[in-house]
Amino acid sequence: MEALRVLITRESGGDPAAPTVVLLPHTYQSAEYAPRLAVRLGAAYVASVSSATLDACGGLRFSRAILQARLRAEVRPKRRLVVATVQIGAFGGHEPVESPERVFEVGRPADVERHREREMLGREAAGAGGVDLPGAERIVTAGRGVGGPDEVSVAADLASALDAELGASRPVVDNGWLPREHQVGSSGHIVAPNLYVALGVSGSIQHLMGMSGSRVIVAINRDPEAPIFSVAHYGIVADLHDVAPALTRLLEARRSA
Amino acid sequence: MRIGVCIKQVPDTDSHLRIADSGREIDDSDLNWVISSCDLCALEEALVLAEAEVSRGEERPELVVFSLGPARVEEALRKALALGADRAVHLADEALQGGDALADGRALAAALAGENCDLVLTGAQSDDLGQAATPAVIAEILGVPYAWLVMAVELDSHKQSVRVVRELEGGMNEVLRLDLPAVLAIQAGINKPRFASLRGTLQARRKPLQLEGCSGVDAGLVGAAGAGTETESVTLPPAGAGGVVIEGASAEAAAEELLAHLEREAVL
Repeated sequence: MEALRVLITRESGGDPAAPTVVLLPHTYQSAEYAPRLAVRLGAAYVASVSSATLDACGGLRFSRAILQARLRAEVRPKRRLVVATVQIGAFGGHEPVESPERVFEVGRPADVERHREREMLGREAAGAGGVDLPGAERIVTAGRGVGGPDEVSVAADLASALDAELGASRPVVDNGWLPREHQVGSSGHIVAPNLYVALGVSGSIQHLMGMSGSRVIVAINRDPEAPIFSVAHYGIVADLHDVAPALTRLLEARRSA
Repeated sequence: MRIGVCIKQVPDTDSHLRIADSGREIDDSDLNWVISSCDLCALEEALVLAEAEVSRGEERPELVVFSLGPARVEEALRKALALGADRAVHLADEALQGGDALADGRALAAALAGENCDLVLTGAQSDDLGQAATPAVIAEILGVPYAWLVMAVELDSHKQSVRVVRELEGGMNEVLRLDLPAVLAIQAGINKPRFASLRGTLQARRKPLQLEGCSGVDAGLVGAAGAGTETESVTLPPAGAGGVVIEGASAEAAAEELLAHLEREAVL
């Protein structure tokens, strides 16, 4: 972070053509230090933006999801220098056409050896194995809307009728209704099966990041405003406890026919 | 030892959200306000740490809860007191309102510094704006180590450092040691927040709740004046990606229709 600060202040110092926007990916690594960098630079900070535009006067506007993706906000930085993190997947990737114009080398800050107030001791897997979500052709995911630990079976039954793996949204895992290895989303598994069925999943940004690449997405949710419907190819606004068992019955009847 | 917990009062995400006539914010006339979910987990973690100290035969750390916002925030602070915090500090001064994460972080850092907290816990991101910035800003202004998305906290026996587990992408965790004082941003799922007891609610009425002005901070760096950003407009997200809405007369009819679509898509 200090190396970035040195580089950016050297670059932006006094030069009218100097950079005014510092973009970082909104990953769990960079979004941890990005706000600190903004403070150190005296810059404005905008997190997890999904698009950026220039107004008629050349002023920047960032668009970002707020209130669990139920609304969008257009945010205007009030400072010359802005640090922004970009939502993963918000922009299609481009192949680099040529090497960057300028590459800077920054020496190691002198005090880096003394800076041991935060030390990494190791890394570990967050949960046990046994669930192959990334390799699954079909996934049925239980969201908070299933209602409780005893009602996860409505999703498990449909998963088994579809020969699908069972996924879970973050609240379901946080509440202990399913173990963490079932979790779909940026903090769990990133998946892209042929068929993704979301039962009672509202569709947080983190969840959408983890599954919006699926080929066919089905959402069943009582709330017509649930953000999951913005990525679904087929949506049913209804109580999943009525529709999912009906689906399971139909699939089982077909199988035995 | 003193543990500071920063909480934010946010609209209940299950409440119906309407955009205000100004088009710049949500209409707050008819909202249900709650403590942001990760902040509740941060408070629960502070209570658990305090109880662990007591069971080790140590003195119970003092838990001080902080919140910035208008008069309605007192309800959130009283709830935190009912859950077991010892004292509350309400950053209610008019000059502190209307800021963004940079301004709010600066105001909270000043209040936390005034209380000499050894450890500061707060939620990893708020349920309303979700920038995950305020805790990092607090750490930067206090000049102390910081960890985001914390899934486990353990105090060392000398209270000189904490061992934390923090989440990474793809189902991995990172184990870190941070010197105290430190700021930890707690991730949802680290614990299950308790409910307030009737006794706790009654006791909370008598616990100290102090109003904090903006002494010790430059008025130009906090509130609306100190904000680095301004919200120009709030809108509904773009409508769905042209998906098919299935409206069967019954659950069976909807299920039949869906299966017909899925068969055509060749995903069964």
